[in-house]
Amino acid sequence: MSQVSMQQLQEYAADSNGKVSTPRKGEMFIEIDQAHIMGFISHVVNDLRIRLLSTITGLDLGQNFGIIYNFSHEDQKIQVKTTLPKNQPTTVSIVEIVPGAILYEMEIHDLFGITFTGNPWINLKLLLPDNWPADLPPPLLKSSKPAEIRKRLHLEVERKNE
Amino acid sequence: MSDESKRREESAGLMEYSVENLVPFGPIHPALKEPEYFKLILEGEKIVQVIPRIGYVHRGLEKAAEQRPWMQNMYMFERTCGICSFVHSLCYGQAVEELTVFQVPRRAKFIRLIVAELERIHSHLLWVGLMGHWAGFETLFMWVWNDRELVLDIVEAISGNRVHKSMNTLCGVRRDMPEGMEDRIVERMKYIVDRAHYYREIIDTEETMLARTEKVGNKISQETAQKLCAVGPMARFVGLRQDVRLNDPYAAYDEVPFDLVTRTEGDVRSLLRLRLDELIVSANMISYAVKHLPDGPFRVRIPNIIPAGEHSSHCEAPRGEIFYYVKSNGGKIPDRVKSRQPTMANIPAALELLKGQNLADLPMVLTAIDPCFGCMDRMSFFDTESHRQWAWSGEQLRQYGIKHYFPDRISAAPALKIGEAH
Amino acid sequence: MPRRKAGAIIPEMFRVMLEKPTTEAYPYKPIKLPERFRGKLDVDPETCTGCGVCAIVCPAQVITMVDVGTRKVGDKELPVKRPIFDLSTCIFCGECVDNCAFKALELTKEFQLACSDKADLMMRKALAK
Repeated sequence: MSQVSMQQLQEYAADSNGKVSTPRKGEMFIEIDQAHIMGFISHVVNDLRIRLLSTITGLDLGQNFGIIYNFSHEDQKIQVKTTLPKNQPTTVSIVEIVPGAILYEMEIHDLFGITFTGNPWINLKLLLPDNWPADLPPPLLKSSKPAEIRKRLHLEVERKNE
Repeated sequence: MSDESKRREESAGLMEYSVENLVPFGPIHPALKEPEYFKLILEGEKIVQVIPRIGYVHRGLEKAAEQRPWMQNMYMFERTCGICSFVHSLCYGQAVEELTVFQVPRRAKFIRLIVAELERIHSHLLWVGLMGHWAGFETLFMWVWNDRELVLDIVEAISGNRVHKSMNTLCGVRRDMPEGMEDRIVERMKYIVDRAHYYREIIDTEETMLARTEKVGNKISQETAQKLCAVGPMARFVGLRQDVRLNDPYAAYDEVPFDLVTRTEGDVRSLLRLRLDELIVSANMISYAVKHLPDGPFRVRIPNIIPAGEHSSHCEAPRGEIFYYVKSNGGKIPDRVKSRQPTMANIPAALELLKGQNLADLPMVLTAIDPCFGCMDRMSFFDTESHRQWAWSGEQLRQYGIKHYFPDRISAAPALKIGEAH
Repeated sequence: MPRRKAGAIIPEMFRVMLEKPTTEAYPYKPIKLPERFRGKLDVDPETCTGCGVCAIVCPAQVITMVDVGTRKVGDKELPVKRPIFDLSTCIFCGECVDNCAFKALELTKEFQLACSDKADLMMRKALAK
C-alpha cells in the first residue's frame, strides 16, 4: 500500500478518536468507538478506495462484544475494531456502503445475537436450523456449551471422553 | 413453510408469493452431493429473484476449535473441504505461526507451494468435468477426470493420501519430497499442459459447449463485482487484477515466476477459459519449483503454547480468497478462530449473475461460480404467471436444461415441462 | 470462431481405443499402492513403554491409556499404563507415529477395514506385555 494512503488512514483515525497499532508487518489494527464507526468506514471505502471487505468477525470479550471489519488492500490487512455492550447488542449496518457485507452480518446475527439495523435480510436465518429453540442463547457465546446445544436439538451422540 | 418463516420473509421485503401448496422436500436427497437451498421466483422462464439458505452442513467448527489444542485444530480445519483441504490447513497454520517467534524454513515454503498448486490443478480439472456433465457432454467429463487421476497419483506419492494430505504442520511440512520425483513430476506436468490446450480447443469450437456457455450469465460490471466483494475467478473474469498470490505473496510465491490471468467478457465461457489458463500457469510453476528446490530442513519444532495476540492470514484457494483470523490468550487452546470460505463471498455475486436468465441456464451458472458446497439440491419453484408450484431434483433440472437446448437428443429419463412435478 | 470439423473425433477415437483401459481391476487383481500410503495403525508391544504421548497428540481421541499394573521405583508404587486403540475413529494422520520417541507405532499398507461390528476394530495387543 502506498505511503500516502497509510498516512491518510492514520490521520483520519486520529481525527475519529481512534487508536492505531501495527504489531506486525503488513497488518494494521484501528480501534474506533461506536459513534464514529460509520463515518470511518465510509471514508475508508469511498475516499481511500479500499474496497475488498474480506469478512466481519464477531468476538465475545467477556463484558462486551467485539466486531472486527477485516479489509484487504494490496499487501496490507486493515482491521477496524469496535466494541458493543452486551446488554445492548445493536449496531448500524454497513450494507449501504458495502453491499457484499449482507451475508456476513446475517452470520453474526445468527451466531452471536447482534442486530444490525438497516440490513434488509437480518431477520432471515442463514445458518441456524429452523427448529432452534427461542430460549437457547446464540451458540458462539462463551457461556453456551456444545453438550447442551446437542441435547436441546436432539443430536446426542455417544462420546467416550465427556 | 411455517408462519414464522413467512413473516420473516415478508419483513425482509421479498417478493410476495403464495405458499399454500408447497410441499417441502428439503435439501437432503439420495442423489445429491452436498445440500444447499435456493428458492427461485420465476416469471414464465426467466428467473426474477433468488433467495439463498445455507447451513445444512454447518458443523460448528469455530466452536469446536475453541476446545481443542492448536495442532489438533489443524487437522480439523483440513477437513472443512475435500477439494481445497490443503489450503485451509495452510492458511490456519500461517495465521498461528506469525504469533510465534519461529521462522518457516525455505524448503518448507517451496514444498507448500508445490502441493498447493497441485491441488489447484486437480480442483480446476474436476470443475471442467462438472461443467461438461451439467451441459450433457459426458465424454468431456470422463476424459477430464481421467487426466485428473494422473495428478492425484503424484499427490498420493508425495503425501500418502489423495484427499486429506496432512502435509502441513506448525512451522513446516511433515514430510520431505520423496527421492527421484523430480523427473516424474516435470514429465507429467508437460502432459497435463498438452491436455489443457486440447480442452481449451474443445470449449472454443465444440457445438455443445458453445451453445451452453456463450453469452450465458447476466453481465456484471467491475464496479458491481467490487461492491459485492467477489473474490477469486469471479473477480478476475470481469477484469479485476485481484489475486492474493500477486497482491500479498505468501509461502514461496515471491520467488517463483507467476502470471496473472484475467478476462473481460463476463460470461460463463470466459470462466472456462480463465480456469484452464490458470491450470497451465500452475503446471509451469510446479515444474519451476521442483527444479529449484532449496536445501535445508523442512520443519522446525515449536512448543505447544502460542503467545498471546491476534493475527489474520489469507491465501488463494482454487475458488477464491480464504481468510482466517486467530486470537490467542497465551495458552494451549485458541480463544477464537474465524474462517471464511470463498464460496460465501461469491454468493451475492452469483445471485447477481442469475438475474434475468432462463431456468435452463441455472445449472450452468450455479456451477460456474464453483460452489464448494457442491451442486444443486431439491429446489422449489414458483411461477408468478400461472401461480403453480412444484419441486424438482437436481437431476430433473439437468435433464430439463439439456432438452431445452438440444430437443432432438435422446435421453434415458424424459424431461419434464415447466409446472410438472415428478 | 471456426467450428470443429466433422471427423475430428476419429484420431481421438483411435488413441483411446489403443490405450489400455483406465479402470482398475480391483478386487480381481491386487492394487498397487505407493510407498507412503497411510493405512491401518500397528503397534509393537515389545517396544511400547506406556509413556502416553500418543494419547495426548491424537486429534481424533483414538488412544486411551489403561492401567495394567504397578512397578516399584525407590519406595513408591507407580502405575504402569498401556494404550488401547479404537481404530474406528482413526483419521490416519500419523501424528502418533511422528511423536513416539521409541518408534513403536507404524502405519501399514492395510486398507480393507470394513467390518460389521465396530468392536472388531479395537486393538488391544499392546496390553499383552
